[in-house]
Amino acid sequence: MVLVVNETFDDSSHEDAGHPERPDRLVAARTAIDDLHLDEDLVVVPAHSATREELVRVHIGNYLDELSAYCYSGGGDIDQDTYATLNSFTIAKYAAGSGLAVIDELQRRNDGVGFVAARPPGHHALADRAMGFCLLNNVAVAAAALRSQGERVLIVDWDVHHGNGTQQIFWDVPEVLYVSTHQWPLFPGTGSVNEVGGRHATDRTVNIPLPPGATGDIVRRGIDEMAGPVIDAFDPTWVLVSAGFDAHREDPMADLRLTSGDFALMARGVSDYAPQPGRLVMFLEGGYDLDALRSSIHASLSAALGQTYDGESPSNGGPGTEQIERMRQARRSTIELLHTSDDEESTR
Amino acid sequence: MKPFQSIAVGYDGSHDATVAARWAMEAAKDFGAVVTIVHATGLREHLHQQFVADVTPPELIALAQECAFDESGLHWLVANGDACSVLLRMASPPINADMLVVGSRGEGKREGLLLGSTSLEVAEHASVPVVVVPSSYVEN
Repeated sequence: MVLVVNETFDDSSHEDAGHPERPDRLVAARTAIDDLHLDEDLVVVPAHSATREELVRVHIGNYLDELSAYCYSGGGDIDQDTYATLNSFTIAKYAAGSGLAVIDELQRRNDGVGFVAARPPGHHALADRAMGFCLLNNVAVAAAALRSQGERVLIVDWDVHHGNGTQQIFWDVPEVLYVSTHQWPLFPGTGSVNEVGGRHATDRTVNIPLPPGATGDIVRRGIDEMAGPVIDAFDPTWVLVSAGFDAHREDPMADLRLTSGDFALMARGVSDYAPQPGRLVMFLEGGYDLDALRSSIHASLSAALGQTYDGESPSNGGPGTEQIERMRQARRSTIELLHTSDDEESTR
Repeated sequence: MKPFQSIAVGYDGSHDATVAARWAMEAAKDFGAVVTIVHATGLREHLHQQFVADVTPPELIALAQECAFDESGLHWLVANGDACSVLLRMASPPINADMLVVGSRGEGKREGLLLGSTSLEVAEHASVPVVVVPSSYVEN
């Protein structure tokens, strides 16, 4: 099976001295790809700068204007975490467009697995606001493009932080199912199990918040037991992964205890949700320990391509087992409550 | 008009935030309101925790004493998120703030742009009145 990746674009000027979201992260990602030794099974597609038409499917035009003006006037700190430089808007448009280029190639081939190695990451970016290192929501731009083609899109977000931007953008969109595993409590403070989607998309958001110290077995069990039945019922035609690797035990930004072996198992698991080859794309989100990032990307891509991964073993034994059933019940109760209130309103 | 009962102030330890907290305490005395001072724990703060959830920073306690504001009406909160989102969340349960207070920062070349200005972002999105306190408030 081929791996389709975006061409490298120059992201070197989107950098803030000492900031953990830095250009070296993409170097690590490229090394992970090289380590796969795919030769002719590696397909590199030209980078694409997302057009305004492609961006306004998820972002408000005024925000794009503000971000553009902010960058071209020299940039600076947008909030306590998020920065922009003179070239950040240009670079962010390439990051947002790269997913579209990879998807085009997968559609042409009807085969392969896609990986978008781009930064800045995207899943915290709201429709009208940058935050959490993110300027434009890369995975959302891709999902919205697929939705416009009549596709049903599953987004699995295994970054250690909840993807509040992606959730917000598709909150009331029935054609997109958003599933997130994340540490709780942690930035950005959203992602409770009771957040299940808007009125027209109840059950299209599945949050699986996990306690600090949780290991890979708990994450996989959460996905299988809480999200599995919802995904099966949704029957996605495409699977996009917000593939952050900051849930790795070596990552300094959080406290989950995953290994690269866990990411391999998770990648294999999400591959099974894709209805056919050529319908799975992973998007780089977080991951700030460069060794862990490289090994985890390598593991994920190996598994998605059907190769054997013999690196770090999967982790197990962390806290959270007892929470899964409680979360499942809480989620069910919330959905029932929402349906009941909808019924009451319609009979009024 | 019903007097304000619950005032929330964004706080990051800066001079501007301290000025905003002072204004909020003085206003709260007039309104008979409680004051919740909230610190937003950003993504990077996991690396270097600046404030502890259970311990009100001593400088805020000192500020309350200076303002003769009853400490029993002062609440300290640390919440995950960016400064804008966290402050906006204060208008919802359980805090139910009916006024949000934020310090102002001169943004020179970016005047008029929402980006990079917590005060403008909060004012743009808030569902309750927002007070932006100029950094020169104390001096004036």
